[in-house]
Amino acid sequence: LKSASKEVVGFDNQFDAAPPNSEGLGEHHHEIESKLILSSDVKGWNFAENFITEKNWGHEPWEFGYAVGASRPFRLAATPSPCNFCAENFIIGAEMYGGLGTADQLTLHGTSHYLAPIVAWQVPSGVNFTISPGFGLNQNSHAFILRWGVSYEITQFGRKLRSLF
Amino acid sequence: MRLSICGSLLFISLAAVVFSAQCDDSRAVFAVIARAPVKARDQKNPYEGRPEAIAAGGKLFRQHCAECHGDDAHGRGRAPDLHSAAVQDATPGELAWFLRGGNLRHGMPSWSGLPEQRRWQIVAYLKTLR
Repeated sequence: LKSASKEVVGFDNQFDAAPPNSEGLGEHHHEIESKLILSSDVKGWNFAENFITEKNWGHEPWEFGYAVGASRPFRLAATPSPCNFCAENFIIGAEMYGGLGTADQLTLHGTSHYLAPIVAWQVPSGVNFTISPGFGLNQNSHAFILRWGVSYEITQFGRKLRSLF
Repeated sequence: MRLSICGSLLFISLAAVVFSAQCDDSRAVFAVIARAPVKARDQKNPYEGRPEAIAAGGKLFRQHCAECHGDDAHGRGRAPDLHSAAVQDATPGELAWFLRGGNLRHGMPSWSGLPEQRRWQIVAYLKTLR
């Protein structure tokens, strides 16, 4: 749920994907994206609320999006032995995400929204794999999208950085 | 090409960590542990003395804690020695409370993202270091 996938923001909708890939490959977008991640943990469940902003460097106003979700490890307590495929390393959850319009037009009208189950595998080495099939919730949404990701969290980054100096 | 840079907030967080206090924080950390609320302090560890849980706690310690406190838990740099009296004399509830909240100012991250059961397993392991 703290994913780094390409986010749905602004008025992103299924018609954006209508042009053929041959046309899309010629387009260059330079964007900056930031995300406020709020997260709380209650009885093994993680509840996350993300507020997303995206800005095309060249033009267009700030675009906004959101993602909310809940997730939980398959097994809360750890097993004594090191393992990669044990239940404690798998997380299951669901998320809902979509656009919130732009700075000029902050609205839900004309935006697309998705509901998606999510499964994550946290390998003890620190690599995380996530897969999330999303189902469109309105006429602006794609009927189905599949998001997947691989990430690595650098723990104690500050300590590591300080040790260099 | 679509260039997407995610995480200006992340950079702010990282900067806060990098430039946080540089002094030895052991005493400050112990002082924070001592401030645990009574309700947390009196909590019993449901895994206390259970060999499987202690072994699991050891595994979790190596995964999450050893990087700073060392494989032998004797501490490194700002990270305190977990064999010390201040840690070993703390109640399991105080340690669990501290693990949950952390104290970033003194270098200890919050482990609230770990399920409560796993935090108690770590506490069970820490108490075997006496």
